[in-house]
Amino acid sequence: MIQYKKDIENIAIVNLEMDGRDGNIINHKLYKALEPVLEHLLLEKEKGQLKGVIFTSSQKTFLTGGDLEYLYETYSPEALYEYSQEIQSFFRKLEAPGIPVVAAMNGSCLGLGFEMVLACHYRIAVDDNDIQLGNPEIELGLMPGGGASIRLLWMLGIENAYNVLTKQKKFNPSEALERGIIDEIVEQENDLIPAAKQWIRLNNKGSRIWDVKAEQAPVSKDKLRETLKTVQRLTASLVSSIYANFPAHLSILNTLAEGVKLDFDTACKIESQHFSELVIKQDTKNMMKTFWFDLNNIKKGEMRPEGYGKFRTRKVGVIGAGIMGTGIALTCLVNGLEVVMKDVSESIVLKGKELVYSKLKEMRNTNRISAALCEKAKSNFIATEDIEQFENCDLIIEAVFENKNLKIKVAKEVDQYVDEYSFFGTNTVSIPISDLGSVFKLPKNYIGLHFFSPVEKVHMCEIVRGKQTSGETIARAFDFVKQIKKIPVIVEDNWGFFAARVQNTYILEGIQMLQEGFSAASIENLGRQAGMTRAPLALADSLSLNLVLRYEEQAAKHYGPKYIAHPAVAAINKMIEDVDRPGRPTKRGFYNYDDDSAERQLLWEEMENVFPTTQVVFDFNEPKERLLIVQVLETLWCIHEGVVQSVAEANLGSIYGWGFPAFKGGAVQYITDYGKEAFIARCKHYEAQHGPRFQVPNIIHKLLP
Amino acid sequence: MNEAFIYDAIKTPRGKAKKTGALYQIKPIELLANCFKAIQKRNDLDTTLVNDAIIGCVSPVGEQGANIAKSALLFADWSNKVSGFQLNRFCASGLEAVNLAAMKIRSGWEDLIIAGGIESMSRTAIESDGGAMLFDPSVITHIGYVPQGISADLIATLEDYDREVLDAYALQSQQRAAKAWEAGYFDSATIPIHNTAGMLVLEKDEHLRPSTSLEGLAKLKPAFEKIGSIGFDAIAMRKYPVVERIKHLHTAGNSSGIVDGAALMLIGSAEMGKRLGLTPKAKIISVGNASTDPTLMLQGPTPATKRALKNIGMNKEDIDLWEMNEAFASPVLKFQRDMDIDPAILNVNGGAIAMGHPLGATGCMILGTLMNELIRQKKNTGLATLCVGGGMGIATIIEIV
Repeated sequence: MIQYKKDIENIAIVNLEMDGRDGNIINHKLYKALEPVLEHLLLEKEKGQLKGVIFTSSQKTFLTGGDLEYLYETYSPEALYEYSQEIQSFFRKLEAPGIPVVAAMNGSCLGLGFEMVLACHYRIAVDDNDIQLGNPEIELGLMPGGGASIRLLWMLGIENAYNVLTKQKKFNPSEALERGIIDEIVEQENDLIPAAKQWIRLNNKGSRIWDVKAEQAPVSKDKLRETLKTVQRLTASLVSSIYANFPAHLSILNTLAEGVKLDFDTACKIESQHFSELVIKQDTKNMMKTFWFDLNNIKKGEMRPEGYGKFRTRKVGVIGAGIMGTGIALTCLVNGLEVVMKDVSESIVLKGKELVYSKLKEMRNTNRISAALCEKAKSNFIATEDIEQFENCDLIIEAVFENKNLKIKVAKEVDQYVDEYSFFGTNTVSIPISDLGSVFKLPKNYIGLHFFSPVEKVHMCEIVRGKQTSGETIARAFDFVKQIKKIPVIVEDNWGFFAARVQNTYILEGIQMLQEGFSAASIENLGRQAGMTRAPLALADSLSLNLVLRYEEQAAKHYGPKYIAHPAVAAINKMIEDVDRPGRPTKRGFYNYDDDSAERQLLWEEMENVFPTTQVVFDFNEPKERLLIVQVLETLWCIHEGVVQSVAEANLGSIYGWGFPAFKGGAVQYITDYGKEAFIARCKHYEAQHGPRFQVPNIIHKLLP
Repeated sequence: MNEAFIYDAIKTPRGKAKKTGALYQIKPIELLANCFKAIQKRNDLDTTLVNDAIIGCVSPVGEQGANIAKSALLFADWSNKVSGFQLNRFCASGLEAVNLAAMKIRSGWEDLIIAGGIESMSRTAIESDGGAMLFDPSVITHIGYVPQGISADLIATLEDYDREVLDAYALQSQQRAAKAWEAGYFDSATIPIHNTAGMLVLEKDEHLRPSTSLEGLAKLKPAFEKIGSIGFDAIAMRKYPVVERIKHLHTAGNSSGIVDGAALMLIGSAEMGKRLGLTPKAKIISVGNASTDPTLMLQGPTPATKRALKNIGMNKEDIDLWEMNEAFASPVLKFQRDMDIDPAILNVNGGAIAMGHPLGATGCMILGTLMNELIRQKKNTGLATLCVGGGMGIATIIEIV
């Protein structure tokens, strides 16, 4: 798995090639295997027979990975500290002064792989936009443990190091060069080794600045004050952006802030310490569970109906050139698909086309797509009023206004283009798919595809299965959603599907708290501080209270006599009828929208007259908890009713679909986070205080035995 | 029990803490030594009788570091027998020095103490001493640290003070201070500062703006909006979610001035006074400390005051004159509202908004001002209090003898 050869100049090339994979994964095993290679190299060096070392790979992925299973299961800080120290000491051996070591990257290098590369003396990558480089550990709630944060601190300074580890995280080679995390890019893979050798010829020593200044801190005393001000600012902005909720951000910042005052080796110990403290946190386990294990299960197709071949979508038809239609078109285009987007008038079509073009341009400017892909997307895109362009589409998606008759009318127009080899998806938030699909020639090829706005940004799509929808169509929809790099969540055709229905409980609870006498500002602040991406009343306004109410009406209809009215409905009626403030669409809601373009809207100043504040909040925990627990319970009911079928889908769906706190790992993982028994006891407490909406469905015992 | 008497109180004029400020050229040790020399001379003091010197200083580093109390005693040619130490209770340091001196006297273990404070903010800038709670991410997030200006704005938001109210208070401070200076109320306590060549450097407060108008104050920009927007507002709102947004209303005009200055008090037992032939001016009859939420920070004076009143069994009605340090306008207004004090007897000669707040010295200065004003008005009892970093508060009650 590791090939080693030395050329006539005494430059050793170490080729990484792991068996049975198309990429190299670094973990305990790999670096253990590398250790003897390193020792051999040191021996060669002693004999004066080694001029330098080049790490390269014959695989598509240069080096990625980490030991996620191990980290997920380990709760002992001592063990984790030792694990981290072991990796650090291996990387220290690699960079110990003496032999120049070059990483020649022909493919992506992430995580622990990039930690190793940072311990090389020189980093070269091929200029290919598909290559990703960096330390994105934070996406899984983690941080580097092999010394990368301290290396980046020395290389980039505290602010850039913090940004590289917590903001963009993954870089293509030209961005990586610009950021200073690699040293050189070459045009083609063939140029890699010659460039690496050239560097070795010119740099026969190979040493790091932190070894040259072994006893010193990266920031000199006279610069320390300025750096401390930066630390203060970064801390404040961390609280304002994530309310200090994601512990990895703070662990990384703490590591860097302490690292500025210490020598390299001591600072690395601090990294190990924060790393071990972080990994044992429940928030971290939640994120690993959801964003690694659950996500992989979904991607593997755990929920995809079996027995159908892989469906490859080439050409997509999109009906409707509004916000949703253009978003869907854009997403398909940047994933290499052909798109025909149709609307009724030339002006609407043109406007939609311009919108797609401007977003492509923006993505190109921010380097999110390559120049080639941008050009390809443009040439793959047809915006038209002509229905005949839908010929040969593998999939037609309808994304017109939320009106049942309109949806049926436009879909009927294209019925002729849907055959046995294609399928039709409707983008609806609440109209039953089964009702819509029954009027078609091939109801079994009719399915719901519920995209979330903004389509190009939300990582999820609900696949709504109608009564007549076939397993094959679900499999096709599943493959399509994956093809456009979204997370497919298969839901039952039931009122509100999954996301909208659960989100509504959050909104209703917020409104109910207003009615109970909490001030509007505290409800909004506590919602955000609890980790929700949006505050409940602001969310209600953006949907409009009429829609919030409509979901409740649908629930009433669905459950019949079993339906228990939500107490918040009275407050909603007050807002709609008594004070005529139904929400943002009319510029009158819980907030004022007098200046619609303002960065931040302000709450309606007369709210106090309608909902007087009587509750002075001392324990913020309880209202925060209520806002989350109602969502958790509704998610359980959805699973109970078969609306959504797997825990993985429920967790990821809750985070991507409506912004449930990611550090809780999603709406079902929340229970594990809380402790099942404690959660049930807490719900009983709330049930006694606030009524049956806090009843825990029995399925909890089946899901979490 | 021994009573603790104040035999003398002096202060330096306050210089603007800028390169153009008169006291910028004076080393902190010189400024303090000037005070030691002056108080010794005024009282013809045999310094061998002084048991201890307690000096408050908030940034005790560099030129103010390594125990400026003892350093300045030596430099001022006080007897080698006098010990000294520096203390830091943030903005209360100067008053804490006095309170501690009173406790020493009342214990009977010591009978003559020199207490006070110094801050040369032009030469040793605020926060020069770093800070355990200021620059560490885990500490900041754990305790909810915010700069004091954010706390002042938060109080204004919670209490619904608007800019006009704060500015009107600032104007009053300027007018009262200007009037007091003009009438010579500060003259007896203020010692002129000379440089080493013996030339006069400063004899009056430099920070005053007697011509201040409401219009002028209204034009000033909020001072803490930017630091709030980078995230400190969010830190404060984690604890105070009831606030929709923090209104940034404090400006350079309605916050205390940044100045250089020092102050001293001579505190001793009745017996020692007799021995020295000195007449006591006032008696320190009660003290109080308190601490509250560190994020709202500036509301410590109320509980500290209540504590001091309770210690001596007094009611607020027993207090004839009040001094509450004008760190910012809002905490003073909040204190006045909470304690229900007649504004006519609070900070009657203006305060730090007009004259400046040399952190380590202010507590001692305002107590001296209070004492002299009680004597002038022939009144009896006064209370001085300060809001303090970390949420603390301090209060001292004196009685004219």
